[in-house]
Amino acid sequence: MRLNLKKIFLALLVLAGFFSVVQSWLSTLNLNQGGAAIDAWEARLMPAKKALPIKRGVIGYVGEWDAPGISYAYWDQESEYLLAQYSLAPLILKKGAVEEWNVAVLSEPAFAAWQKANQGKFEIIPLKHNVYLFHRLANP
Amino acid sequence: MILTIFFFFLIPILNGSLIAHLLWPERKGSALLLKFSLGIGMGLGINSILYFLALNIAPKQINVLAVEVVLFVTLGIIVFLRERNQKWERRRFLSLSRIQWGLIIVGLIASAMLVLIFVDQSIAQPQAGIDAWSIWNRAARFISRDPENWRATLSPDLYWHDHADYPLLVPLNVAWGWQMIGSENVRVPMMVGAFFVLASIGMMFATVALTRTIGQASLATLVLMGTPLFVWAGAGQVADVPVMYFIFASSALMFLALTQQNSAFLILSGFMAGLAGWTKNEGLLLIVACVVALIVVNLKELFRSLKFFLAGLAIPLTMILYFKSIAPPSDLFTGSSALVQILDISRYWMIFGALGRQLLTFGYWPFSIFIGLAFYALLMQIHWETYFDKGLQALASTILLQSLGYFLIFLLTPHELIWQLNTSLYRLILQLYPSELFLFFSVVSEPEKVFKPT
Repeated sequence: MRLNLKKIFLALLVLAGFFSVVQSWLSTLNLNQGGAAIDAWEARLMPAKKALPIKRGVIGYVGEWDAPGISYAYWDQESEYLLAQYSLAPLILKKGAVEEWNVAVLSEPAFAAWQKANQGKFEIIPLKHNVYLFHRLANP
Repeated sequence: MILTIFFFFLIPILNGSLIAHLLWPERKGSALLLKFSLGIGMGLGINSILYFLALNIAPKQINVLAVEVVLFVTLGIIVFLRERNQKWERRRFLSLSRIQWGLIIVGLIASAMLVLIFVDQSIAQPQAGIDAWSIWNRAARFISRDPENWRATLSPDLYWHDHADYPLLVPLNVAWGWQMIGSENVRVPMMVGAFFVLASIGMMFATVALTRTIGQASLATLVLMGTPLFVWAGAGQVADVPVMYFIFASSALMFLALTQQNSAFLILSGFMAGLAGWTKNEGLLLIVACVVALIVVNLKELFRSLKFFLAGLAIPLTMILYFKSIAPPSDLFTGSSALVQILDISRYWMIFGALGRQLLTFGYWPFSIFIGLAFYALLMQIHWETYFDKGLQALASTILLQSLGYFLIFLLTPHELIWQLNTSLYRLILQLYPSELFLFFSVVSEPEKVFKPT
């Protein structure tokens, strides 16, 4: 009796393992986890990378969270910041327009709000797809 | 392109395998699989160390591939000269029983499906998840795009989520692969991930086959492969599966060393523990856990066993110490009052509660694999006499000490505990999972005994 129970349990474990692999495989069929989004983001920041006069060192990163009075989703902004860092490596990105050269990804309302709050302090170089370069002026 | 990438990495992997064979010249067919599995980790580890040295000594001027080829030719000649008059044991496949054949066939089919899962996952998400591109491949880009200024990847100006303090075994191999093919092809980090998945499967089968039976090995490997989290994490291009592999390798080699009284395994165990520390910070815990385990379990021969373990550990530990001297501090050791957190009982409840939930849901099995294995152990016979085996005691001690270390990390983390538990606990359990499976299948009765005619 015990021997038969052992055989049954052994068979159950083998079947469970095998069907777990099968189920795992079935779940990956037609899987779409947004792999193209990262490539799209990199393509969006490529003009900024080419336009920047420095290829190594620290630059600033300006997002919606830097624009006064603009509502934003924190994790979206955090992800965009991390993606920008990944795309622009080996440049190091610090949050905010804290360096001489800064990359910004801002919607039109956010850009308007940020520009109003920082008038005269930066030379603004607009690029495509709501991407900007902000160059800190020596004598604002 | 995939074949090209594969052949570039094959040279360091063969070097690792040849070194394993020189240290442990066992001539059984079953030992070959273990050596190749070890060779993957050792080879990629050595490759990363060579590339790291090249970056520090003369970036863009030292051809690491050339060094690997010279090493391959040298090792090949040494092995050839030593082996030309030796006889290899032949495995008689016809001597396998029906249950063994059945389990092997199921395992092979599962392996083929695992390859499909890995490929599908990689196609769906070529850049993998956020940890892959923001931490590991980000570091690889810093190294490959500006090798003369590679230390920028360690800058304290980097955002904490970029983890500039993380060791570099995986990013160095990815950066080297990109350098070899001349582009930042996503297939390189995919290939590195695939190697560690393959090596983990090979190591599970080989170590259990060497110490128990073919049937037990097939079963253990099937349980590992049947854990969806294992292959998903492997395809995720993060360092959790590589460090899982090194933890398993080091623990299993220490088990073999103490069981078979073979010092070569201790050297390899030390080397693998060092590579674990060179892969992720959790590996540093493993080094301490292994040393303490040796002290606790092997006190009578402590000096001898430590001597060989530390001999293997020396080179990767030197890299780690140098790296830590130039890297920023870990975000886990900033701010926070340790005493206050240690005395906070609610933290203990939170950690144990999260652990309890993980025990029920770990690995994305449709049922609790830990409870299932517990029932399996109750029904099948457990070899209680193995309790006295030093190798088993060392293996169990290492797992226990590593777990204790993880517990302390959660207790003392400066980050919000719930967030830390939700994002890391399942990965830390995964890191110990193959070692736990190896321990489990070392004490539970083999399937062959169930079908043995009475």
